[in-house]
Amino acid sequence: MSLDWQGALDAVVHHPLFGIGITLGAYQIVLAAYEKSRWIFLQPVLVSMMLVIGVLLACGLTYTEYRKSTEILSILLGPATVALAVPLYLNLRRIRQLFWPTFTTLVVGGVVATATCVLLGWWFGAEHMILMTMAPKSVTSPIAMLVAEQIGGVAALAAVFVLITGVIGAIFGPALLALCGVHNPAARGMALGLTAHAVGTSVALQEGEECGAFAALAMSLMGVATAVLLPLAVSLIA
Amino acid sequence: MLLRGLTWLVLFQLLGTAINHLFLAVLPGPIIGLVLLLGYLMIRGEVAESVSLASSSLLRYLPLLLVPPAVGVMVYARDIAADFWAIVGALFLSLLISVAFAGVLMQKLITRQARREERP
Repeated sequence: MSLDWQGALDAVVHHPLFGIGITLGAYQIVLAAYEKSRWIFLQPVLVSMMLVIGVLLACGLTYTEYRKSTEILSILLGPATVALAVPLYLNLRRIRQLFWPTFTTLVVGGVVATATCVLLGWWFGAEHMILMTMAPKSVTSPIAMLVAEQIGGVAALAAVFVLITGVIGAIFGPALLALCGVHNPAARGMALGLTAHAVGTSVALQEGEECGAFAALAMSLMGVATAVLLPLAVSLIA
Repeated sequence: MLLRGLTWLVLFQLLGTAINHLFLAVLPGPIIGLVLLLGYLMIRGEVAESVSLASSSLLRYLPLLLVPPAVGVMVYARDIAADFWAIVGALFLSLLISVAFAGVLMQKLITRQARREERP
Protein backbone atom coordinates (compact mmCIF):
# COMPACT_ATOMS: atom_id res chain seq x y z
CA MET A 1 0.00 0.00 0.00
CA SER A 2 1.43 3.37 -0.97
CA LEU A 3 0.76 6.49 1.01
CA ASP A 4 -1.01 9.38 -0.75
CA TRP A 5 1.69 12.04 -0.22
CA GLN A 6 0.37 14.32 -2.93
CA GLY A 7 -3.14 14.24 -1.47
CA ALA A 8 -1.85 14.98 2.02
CA LEU A 9 0.22 17.91 0.73
CA ASP A 10 -2.80 19.32 -1.12
CA ALA A 11 -4.96 18.96 1.97
CA VAL A 12 -2.43 20.90 4.06
CA VAL A 13 -1.76 23.62 1.46
CA HIS A 14 -5.45 24.26 0.78
CA HIS A 15 -6.50 24.12 4.44
CA PRO A 16 -8.06 27.45 5.54
CA LEU A 17 -5.40 27.73 8.28
CA PHE A 18 -2.45 27.47 5.89
CA GLY A 19 -2.42 31.18 5.01
CA ILE A 20 -2.51 32.20 8.66
CA GLY A 21 0.13 29.60 9.47
CA ILE A 22 2.67 30.88 6.94
CA THR A 23 1.92 34.53 7.84
CA LEU A 24 2.45 33.93 11.56
CA GLY A 25 5.52 31.79 10.88
CA ALA A 26 7.14 34.26 8.47
CA TYR A 27 6.44 37.22 10.79
CA GLN A 28 8.03 35.50 13.79
CA ILE A 29 11.08 34.37 11.82
CA VAL A 30 11.65 37.92 10.58
CA LEU A 31 11.06 39.39 14.03
CA ALA A 32 13.53 36.98 15.62
CA ALA A 33 16.10 37.71 12.89
CA TYR A 34 15.61 41.45 13.43
CA GLU A 35 16.07 41.17 17.22
CA LYS A 36 19.29 39.24 16.68
CA SER A 37 20.85 41.38 13.96
CA ARG A 38 19.11 44.81 14.39
CA TRP A 39 19.54 45.18 10.65
CA ILE A 40 17.17 47.92 9.45
CA PHE A 41 16.48 46.26 6.12
CA LEU A 42 14.71 43.48 8.00
CA GLN A 43 11.45 45.47 8.05
CA PRO A 44 8.92 42.97 9.46
CA VAL A 45 6.16 43.81 6.96
CA LEU A 46 8.41 43.84 3.89
CA VAL A 47 10.42 40.70 4.58
CA SER A 48 7.39 38.71 5.84
CA MET A 49 5.64 39.73 2.64
CA MET A 50 8.50 38.37 0.52
CA LEU A 51 8.63 35.12 2.49
CA VAL A 52 4.87 34.64 2.16
CA ILE A 53 4.94 35.39 -1.59
CA GLY A 54 7.76 32.85 -1.95
CA VAL A 55 5.78 30.14 -0.16
CA LEU A 56 2.61 30.92 -2.14
CA LEU A 57 4.47 30.70 -5.46
CA ALA A 58 6.21 27.48 -4.40
CA CYS A 59 2.88 25.89 -3.43
CA GLY A 60 1.04 27.22 -6.48
CA LEU A 61 -1.50 29.14 -4.41
CA THR A 62 -3.27 32.25 -5.73
CA TYR A 63 -3.48 35.55 -3.85
CA THR A 64 -7.28 35.25 -3.78
CA GLU A 65 -7.07 31.98 -1.86
CA TYR A 66 -4.43 33.35 0.53
CA ARG A 67 -6.47 36.51 1.09
CA LYS A 68 -9.54 34.45 1.92
CA SER A 69 -7.72 32.31 4.47
CA THR A 70 -6.18 35.35 6.21
CA GLU A 71 -9.46 37.25 6.32
CA ILE A 72 -9.46 37.23 10.13
CA LEU A 73 -6.19 39.21 10.23
CA SER A 74 -7.56 41.77 7.76
CA ILE A 75 -10.74 42.10 9.79
CA LEU A 76 -8.69 42.96 12.89
CA LEU A 77 -7.15 45.93 11.04
CA GLY A 78 -10.39 47.86 11.65
CA PRO A 79 -10.40 47.61 15.47
CA ALA A 80 -6.60 48.22 15.40
CA THR A 81 -7.24 51.52 13.60
CA VAL A 82 -9.87 52.43 16.19
CA ALA A 83 -7.38 51.48 18.93
CA LEU A 84 -5.05 54.26 17.75
CA ALA A 85 -7.41 56.64 19.57
CA VAL A 86 -5.91 55.49 22.90
CA PRO A 87 -2.25 56.63 22.39
CA LEU A 88 -3.70 59.73 20.72
CA TYR A 89 -5.80 60.55 23.77
CA LEU A 90 -2.99 59.82 26.25
CA ASN A 91 -0.77 62.41 24.56
CA LEU A 92 -3.53 64.89 23.87
CA ARG A 93 -2.24 67.38 26.40
CA ARG A 94 1.14 67.53 24.70
CA ILE A 95 -0.51 67.70 21.28
CA ARG A 96 -2.74 70.56 22.45
CA GLN A 97 0.36 72.46 23.56
CA LEU A 98 1.80 72.00 20.10
CA PHE A 99 -1.42 72.68 18.23
CA TRP A 100 -0.11 75.29 15.75
CA PRO A 101 3.14 73.50 14.87
CA THR A 102 1.10 70.31 14.31
CA PHE A 103 -1.57 72.00 12.23
CA THR A 104 0.90 73.93 10.04
CA THR A 105 3.04 70.86 9.43
CA LEU A 106 -0.04 68.83 8.55
CA VAL A 107 -1.24 71.29 5.91
CA VAL A 108 2.13 72.24 4.37
CA GLY A 109 3.74 68.79 4.75
CA GLY A 110 0.65 67.02 3.43
CA VAL A 111 0.55 69.19 0.32
CA VAL A 112 4.30 68.68 -0.25
CA ALA A 113 4.00 64.88 0.16
CA THR A 114 1.16 64.60 -2.35
CA ALA A 115 2.33 67.22 -4.86
CA THR A 116 5.97 66.08 -5.11
CA CYS A 117 4.83 62.53 -5.84
CA VAL A 118 2.41 63.46 -8.61
CA LEU A 119 4.82 65.99 -10.16
CA LEU A 120 7.79 63.62 -10.08
CA GLY A 121 5.68 60.76 -11.48
CA TRP A 122 4.44 63.02 -14.29
CA TRP A 123 7.97 64.19 -15.00
CA PHE A 124 9.22 60.58 -15.11
CA GLY A 125 6.46 59.79 -17.62
CA ALA A 126 3.98 57.65 -15.66
CA GLU A 127 0.47 57.25 -17.07
CA HIS A 128 -2.49 59.26 -15.81
CA MET A 129 -4.02 56.17 -14.17
CA ILE A 130 -0.79 55.47 -12.29
CA LEU A 131 -0.49 59.13 -11.22
CA MET A 132 -4.02 59.19 -9.81
CA THR A 133 -3.28 55.93 -8.00
CA MET A 134 -0.04 57.33 -6.53
CA ALA A 135 -1.54 60.61 -5.29
CA PRO A 136 -3.00 59.23 -2.04
CA LYS A 137 0.12 57.12 -1.26
CA SER A 138 0.80 58.75 2.09
CA VAL A 139 -2.43 57.68 3.81
CA THR A 140 -3.66 54.37 5.24
CA SER A 141 -4.71 51.86 2.59
CA PRO A 142 -8.50 51.90 3.20
CA ILE A 143 -8.64 55.67 2.63
CA ALA A 144 -6.11 55.56 -0.18
CA MET A 145 -8.07 52.86 -2.00
CA LEU A 146 -11.28 54.84 -1.72
CA VAL A 147 -9.72 58.12 -2.83
CA ALA A 148 -7.80 56.51 -5.74
CA GLU A 149 -11.05 55.05 -7.06
CA GLN A 150 -12.76 58.44 -6.82
CA ILE A 151 -10.09 60.35 -8.74
CA GLY A 152 -9.61 57.78 -11.51
CA GLY A 153 -6.96 55.39 -10.19
CA VAL A 154 -7.04 51.67 -9.32
CA ALA A 155 -7.96 50.82 -5.73
CA ALA A 156 -5.95 47.61 -5.35
CA LEU A 157 -2.79 49.18 -6.84
CA ALA A 158 -3.17 52.12 -4.48
CA ALA A 159 -2.81 49.68 -1.57
CA VAL A 160 0.48 48.50 -3.09
CA PHE A 161 1.86 52.04 -3.52
CA VAL A 162 0.76 52.88 0.01
CA LEU A 163 2.71 49.89 1.21
CA ILE A 164 5.85 50.65 -0.84
CA THR A 165 5.78 54.20 0.54
CA GLY A 166 5.35 52.91 4.06
CA VAL A 167 8.23 50.49 3.74
CA ILE A 168 10.58 53.11 2.22
CA GLY A 169 9.57 55.47 5.02
CA ALA A 170 10.18 52.85 7.70
CA ILE A 171 13.60 51.92 6.31
CA PHE A 172 14.98 55.37 5.49
CA GLY A 173 12.76 57.75 7.51
CA PRO A 174 14.39 57.49 10.97
CA ALA A 175 17.94 57.69 9.57
CA LEU A 176 17.06 60.60 7.28
CA LEU A 177 15.45 62.51 10.14
CA ALA A 178 18.55 61.98 12.27
CA LEU A 179 20.69 63.16 9.34
CA CYS A 180 18.62 66.37 9.10
CA GLY A 181 19.10 66.94 12.84
CA VAL A 182 15.48 66.24 13.77
CA HIS A 183 15.66 64.75 17.29
CA ASN A 184 12.44 66.05 18.81
CA PRO A 185 10.19 62.97 19.30
CA ALA A 186 7.06 64.94 18.38
CA ALA A 187 8.62 66.16 15.12
CA ARG A 188 9.95 62.68 14.25
CA GLY A 189 6.55 61.07 14.91
CA MET A 190 4.74 63.75 12.94
CA ALA A 191 7.01 63.30 9.90
CA LEU A 192 6.79 59.48 9.99
CA GLY A 193 3.01 59.31 10.46
CA LEU A 194 2.29 62.06 7.93
CA THR A 195 4.27 60.48 5.11
CA ALA A 196 4.37 56.76 5.90
CA HIS A 197 0.95 56.14 7.59
CA ALA A 198 0.55 52.88 9.58
CA VAL A 199 3.98 51.45 8.77
CA GLY A 200 5.62 54.74 9.78
CA THR A 201 3.47 54.78 12.91
CA SER A 202 4.59 51.29 13.88
CA VAL A 203 8.23 52.42 13.56
CA ALA A 204 7.42 55.55 15.57
CA LEU A 205 5.78 53.45 18.30
CA GLN A 206 9.07 51.57 18.65
CA GLU A 207 10.89 54.88 19.23
CA GLY A 208 8.68 55.82 22.12
CA GLU A 209 5.18 56.65 23.25
CA GLU A 210 5.22 60.36 22.42
CA CYS A 211 6.70 59.73 18.99
CA GLY A 212 4.05 57.07 18.37
CA ALA A 213 1.23 59.33 19.51
CA PHE A 214 2.23 62.10 17.10
CA ALA A 215 2.60 59.55 14.31
CA ALA A 216 -0.90 58.22 14.99
CA LEU A 217 -2.23 61.76 15.10
CA ALA A 218 -0.50 62.74 11.86
CA MET A 219 -1.67 59.54 10.17
CA SER A 220 -5.32 60.04 11.06
CA LEU A 221 -5.34 63.78 10.31
CA MET A 222 -3.57 63.19 6.98
CA GLY A 223 -6.10 60.45 6.19
CA VAL A 224 -9.09 62.65 6.93
CA ALA A 225 -7.59 65.63 5.08
CA THR A 226 -6.72 63.54 2.00
CA ALA A 227 -10.14 61.89 1.87
CA VAL A 228 -11.89 65.24 1.89
CA LEU A 229 -9.50 67.55 0.02
CA LEU A 230 -7.75 65.44 -2.64
CA PRO A 231 -10.89 64.62 -4.70
CA LEU A 232 -11.80 68.31 -4.43
CA ALA A 233 -8.34 69.43 -5.59
CA VAL A 234 -8.31 67.00 -8.51
CA SER A 235 -11.75 68.10 -9.70
CA LEU A 236 -10.66 71.75 -9.51
CA ILE A 237 -7.41 71.21 -11.46
CA ALA A 238 -8.74 68.78 -14.08
CA MET B 1 -10.64 42.24 30.55
CA LEU B 2 -9.07 41.93 27.12
CA LEU B 3 -12.35 40.72 25.63
CA ARG B 4 -14.30 43.60 27.13
CA GLY B 5 -11.87 46.12 25.66
CA LEU B 6 -11.97 44.36 22.30
CA THR B 7 -15.77 44.52 22.37
CA TRP B 8 -15.61 48.30 22.85
CA LEU B 9 -13.21 48.70 19.93
CA VAL B 10 -15.42 46.54 17.70
CA LEU B 11 -18.48 48.47 18.82
CA PHE B 12 -16.91 51.81 17.88
CA GLN B 13 -15.80 50.47 14.52
CA LEU B 14 -19.33 49.17 13.80
CA LEU B 15 -20.76 52.53 14.81
CA GLY B 16 -18.28 54.12 12.41
CA THR B 17 -19.40 51.75 9.66
CA ALA B 18 -23.05 52.69 10.22
CA ILE B 19 -22.21 56.42 10.03
CA ASN B 20 -20.09 55.76 6.95
CA HIS B 21 -23.10 54.20 5.21
CA LEU B 22 -25.59 56.80 6.38
CA PHE B 23 -23.80 60.14 5.94
CA LEU B 24 -20.09 60.04 5.29
CA ALA B 25 -19.18 57.82 2.35
CA VAL B 26 -15.78 59.57 1.96
CA LEU B 27 -14.37 58.40 5.29
CA PRO B 28 -13.98 54.66 6.00
CA GLY B 29 -15.72 53.21 9.07
CA PRO B 30 -12.54 52.54 11.13
CA ILE B 31 -11.40 56.17 10.84
CA ILE B 32 -14.83 57.44 11.94
CA GLY B 33 -14.63 54.89 14.79
CA LEU B 34 -11.22 56.31 15.78
CA VAL B 35 -12.61 59.85 15.93
CA LEU B 36 -15.67 58.68 17.88
CA LEU B 37 -13.56 56.76 20.42
CA LEU B 38 -11.27 59.77 20.82
CA GLY B 39 -14.30 61.99 21.47
CA TYR B 40 -15.68 59.47 23.97
CA LEU B 41 -12.34 59.28 25.84
CA MET B 42 -12.15 63.10 25.97
CA ILE B 43 -15.65 63.33 27.43
CA ARG B 44 -14.95 60.56 29.93
CA GLY B 45 -11.57 62.03 30.85
CA GLU B 46 -9.85 58.65 31.30
CA VAL B 47 -9.10 55.39 29.51
CA ALA B 48 -10.76 52.29 30.98
CA GLU B 49 -8.20 49.58 31.77
CA SER B 50 -9.91 47.09 29.47
CA VAL B 51 -9.79 49.45 26.47
CA SER B 52 -6.16 50.34 27.09
CA LEU B 53 -5.23 46.65 27.40
CA ALA B 54 -7.05 45.69 24.20
CA SER B 55 -5.63 48.58 22.21
CA SER B 56 -2.02 48.06 23.29
CA SER B 57 -2.30 44.33 22.51
CA LEU B 58 -3.72 45.02 19.05
CA LEU B 59 -1.25 47.81 18.23
CA ARG B 60 1.67 45.57 19.17
CA TYR B 61 0.69 43.30 16.28
CA LEU B 62 -0.11 46.06 13.79
CA PRO B 63 2.80 45.08 11.47
CA LEU B 64 1.55 41.47 11.40
CA LEU B 65 -1.95 42.62 10.42
CA LEU B 66 -0.47 44.58 7.50
CA VAL B 67 1.25 41.53 5.95
CA PRO B 68 -1.78 40.05 4.09
CA PRO B 69 -2.68 43.29 2.23
CA ALA B 70 1.03 43.67 1.42
CA VAL B 71 1.16 40.27 -0.27
CA GLY B 72 -1.29 41.74 -2.83
CA VAL B 73 1.78 43.15 -4.61
CA MET B 74 2.15 39.79 -6.39
CA VAL B 75 -1.09 40.31 -8.34
CA TYR B 76 0.06 43.61 -9.86
CA ALA B 77 3.61 42.64 -10.74
CA ARG B 78 3.06 43.27 -14.47
CA ASP B 79 1.43 46.73 -14.12
CA ILE B 80 4.18 47.82 -11.79
CA ALA B 81 6.91 46.51 -14.10
CA ALA B 82 5.57 48.61 -17.01
CA ASP B 83 6.06 51.92 -15.18
CA PHE B 84 8.60 50.61 -12.68
CA TRP B 85 11.20 53.40 -12.63
CA ALA B 86 8.67 56.23 -12.76
CA ILE B 87 6.75 54.71 -9.85
CA VAL B 88 9.70 53.82 -7.67
CA GLY B 89 11.52 57.08 -8.43
CA ALA B 90 8.48 59.23 -7.70
CA LEU B 91 7.52 57.37 -4.53
CA PHE B 92 11.09 57.25 -3.25
CA LEU B 93 12.11 60.87 -3.92
CA SER B 94 8.75 62.25 -2.82
CA LEU B 95 8.97 60.33 0.43
CA LEU B 96 12.52 61.45 1.20
CA ILE B 97 11.66 65.09 0.43
CA SER B 98 8.45 65.11 2.44
CA VAL B 99 9.82 63.22 5.48
CA ALA B 100 12.79 65.58 5.76
CA PHE B 101 10.62 68.62 5.06
CA ALA B 102 7.89 67.73 7.59
CA GLY B 103 10.41 66.77 10.28
CA VAL B 104 12.52 69.90 9.94
CA LEU B 105 9.47 72.19 9.68
CA MET B 106 7.80 70.68 12.76
CA GLN B 107 10.99 70.87 14.83
CA LYS B 108 11.58 74.51 13.78
CA LEU B 109 7.99 75.43 14.70
CA ILE B 110 8.28 73.67 18.07
CA THR B 111 11.52 75.44 19.02
CA ARG B 112 10.09 78.77 17.84
CA GLN B 113 6.98 78.30 19.95
CA ALA B 114 9.08 77.26 22.96
CA ARG B 115 11.27 80.37 22.58
CA ARG B 116 8.22 82.62 22.30
CA GLU B 117 6.76 81.13 25.48
CA GLU B 118 10.01 81.80 27.35
CA ARG B 119 9.90 85.51 26.49
CA PRO B 120 6.25 86.56 26.74
